[in-house]
Amino acid sequence: MSLIAPADQDKLREAFNEMTSPVRLLFFTQTLDCETCLQTRQILDELPPLSDKIWIEEVNLVLESDKARQYAIDRVPAIALVSGEKDSRIRFLGTPAGYEFVSLIQAILLVGGRPSGLTEENRKRLAAVDKPLTMQVFTTPT
Amino acid sequence: MAFVSPSITAYAVEATEYPDLARKYHVSGVPKTVVSGDDGEIEILGALPQDAYIDQALSALSPTALHEDTKATK
Repeated sequence: MSLIAPADQDKLREAFNEMTSPVRLLFFTQTLDCETCLQTRQILDELPPLSDKIWIEEVNLVLESDKARQYAIDRVPAIALVSGEKDSRIRFLGTPAGYEFVSLIQAILLVGGRPSGLTEENRKRLAAVDKPLTMQVFTTPT
Repeated sequence: MAFVSPSITAYAVEATEYPDLARKYHVSGVPKTVVSGDDGEIEILGALPQDAYIDQALSALSPTALHEDTKATK
């Protein structure tokens, strides 16, 4: 049984239809000591049936530590969004449930080609940043 | 922001699932953004209009942008 109501599935399908680029969700997980990895995988599994532009690639944090390092992921569950081979540098740490699910959908649509909503001036300011900057946005599911 | 700048990486952190990070950055309310650059760290509390949010985030690139708590531990 799907975790997403049929009406919401329709809305998501419609939104995903506007995607122009494929989006790969790298799902970082591990077999032991991860209480929420299964729930995260179940949530992510809801998405590919709604769009042929979304797919999930599971990465084992322990067995594929090189890949985890490449994406600067050191804990699970975590998700990195990739467009083709281009890393979006957008990550989700923790289960994308509640409001976090909405944020994940917005991020998928952005990486999939939807305009960011940034003004042209702000887009230029950000594109000109030439030193590494890490942004951690703390949220809760409710 | 991360999507348009190759220098920016953005993490959405589920605070209740990662209490160690929430404690480390003194998260008592959400949303809270912690921006870390080579020269310092700043915090943005709550949601702000786009211009103000980006102004604050980019201020982490300023050499004087050390967070008070970071200063205290130096």
